[in-house]
Amino acid sequence: MADEILLIDPDKGYADALATYLERRRFEVFFADSIDNVRTLLDSLVFFPDIILADPFLPDLGVVNLLKQIKNSNPSIQIIIATENDYYDQAVEELQSHVLAYIQKPINSHLLNLSLKQAREWISLNKKLDRYTEKLADLHNAQNLYHQLFDEVPCYISVQDRQFRLTATNRMFKKDFGNEIGSHCYEIYKHRTSQCIDCPVAATFEDGENHQTEEIVTSKSGKQYNTLTWTAPIKDSGGNITQVIEMSTNITQIRQLQDHLTSLGLMLGSMSHGVKGMLTALDGGIYQLGTGIANKDDKRIFKAFDQVKHMAAKIKDMVLEILYYAKSRALKYQSVDVNQFAESIKDTVEPIARKNNIELNMNISPSLGEIEIDSNWVKAALVNFIENAVDACTYDQSKSEHHVELTVCEKRPDRICFEIRDNGMGIDQETQDKMFTLFFTSKGSQGTGLGLFIAHRVITQHGGSITVESKLLEGSWFQLCLPRKRPDQHRIIDFPEMDLNNSVK
Amino acid sequence: MKKKILVVDDDPNVVDYLVSLFEDNGYRTFSAGDAAEGLKLAKKEVPDLITLDLELPGEWGPRFYRKMSLENNLKNIPVIVISGMTGIEHAIGRAVASITKPFDQDELLKIVKDTI
Repeated sequence: MADEILLIDPDKGYADALATYLERRRFEVFFADSIDNVRTLLDSLVFFPDIILADPFLPDLGVVNLLKQIKNSNPSIQIIIATENDYYDQAVEELQSHVLAYIQKPINSHLLNLSLKQAREWISLNKKLDRYTEKLADLHNAQNLYHQLFDEVPCYISVQDRQFRLTATNRMFKKDFGNEIGSHCYEIYKHRTSQCIDCPVAATFEDGENHQTEEIVTSKSGKQYNTLTWTAPIKDSGGNITQVIEMSTNITQIRQLQDHLTSLGLMLGSMSHGVKGMLTALDGGIYQLGTGIANKDDKRIFKAFDQVKHMAAKIKDMVLEILYYAKSRALKYQSVDVNQFAESIKDTVEPIARKNNIELNMNISPSLGEIEIDSNWVKAALVNFIENAVDACTYDQSKSEHHVELTVCEKRPDRICFEIRDNGMGIDQETQDKMFTLFFTSKGSQGTGLGLFIAHRVITQHGGSITVESKLLEGSWFQLCLPRKRPDQHRIIDFPEMDLNNSVK
Repeated sequence: MKKKILVVDDDPNVVDYLVSLFEDNGYRTFSAGDAAEGLKLAKKEVPDLITLDLELPGEWGPRFYRKMSLENNLKNIPVIVISGMTGIEHAIGRAVASITKPFDQDELLKIVKDTI
């Protein structure tokens, strides 16, 4: 496109000749011979001219000021002044650097060409500069946008290097896990001291593909979250993977819902074996009753009837228990004598310990008084912890002698503590972090992942707390503290609401 | 002479049931509540058939079977697995049958009759 040039000159004949000259040099020329003319032209043109070639000393005054105004409001316009020798100095003085070049009339065509060329160069430079500025602004906006996106995405995002050190994290990550740039991912997410097994970031560094895992992470405040984690490689211009971006969506709420939906099915599944045994025994009772009646064998009839009665009662209990699980169940608080309660736990767990050749030591302070609890639930929870301690001992092959110790004492006048210590295999940090979550088990097919989950619920819903200390191969120590009086608010054992608060250290 | 059946199960009610069922149908029975006792009885009485529960206190059914298979005079005794566990078909590959609790008494008796 030709550059537009505005020609301002009082002498129309001269200007026409100049216009012809300029048009031949591919300019589109507009002409004005008075200040009003200039104004009309500028107002009517959609675009400003690129160049103004002017003799500012028209009969009417004010062209100089007008030129200054134009230049100020459109700095990209290039102005060339062509004027009579007499006015030359005045023009230079008044317009100074507003003007690209001053030419004396009569115009030297070489000088004019040179000035026009210069003007065109300036114009194209300016245009380039404009384009770059625009691009830079776009880039800046895009960067802002991406950064905003990075920050506002409702996931935990971290960028990690090959040593699993965090090099960038987003706002949500910082909120729950702190501003820990430079720390290792496994320290921050899992409170571990070494790389996790089956790390998706490591897998992405390895093969450059996306990887997805489900994790349980622990926030800086000790809260546990279920996350769905997805990783992607970040490559440099040479295609080498330099970093990996890890996005973790918090699916704790979804898990909580799932927990509720699956707990009943799971409960039924784990009970089915017991149910089958009972049904078989019931069959047996009915068979004996039938054959007893047929043979008129009173002894057999009575024995069989007792068995049928007994099995019917057991099945009834179990069915009721299942029905309790199916809906929320209020805790049945009652005052129980702590020492008697501890004795009843001892009676339950002693045979288990003996069967596994584990020494069970009881250390119960005398006269502990009474405590308000739902004793069935709390007993089930404590027995679960003790059974786990026994298991930890039987699994441990590093020692020849194993023992489990139950200590019951009063920590403060209003709190009774049950402490279970074993010298079994110990628990690693990751297992400690996950041990109270539903379905988590360290026992493979032998565990349902249900026991400690329910035990933990029971204790926390009694307003109690659980502290765990453990060392691999040395053993574990669990402390369960319960308030002597029931907590004020009405607490309910119900599975949907998962209260995994920081009682785990 | 009556054929001898050894019942190995840790639930006394189930033992009672099986023992009555077999005796009423003309068999002699012995019973054991765990693997060790079962193995002792098997060596002593050398039964014609064994019914075996899989989940036993201490050593489980499969271990009992393995130990039994090491005894020359016991290894050919037919075994019927009677258990509450599902998917038990392969727990003991050489068992003549695997039955899940609660079982059908006629079906069990038929298998016993067909086997010995």
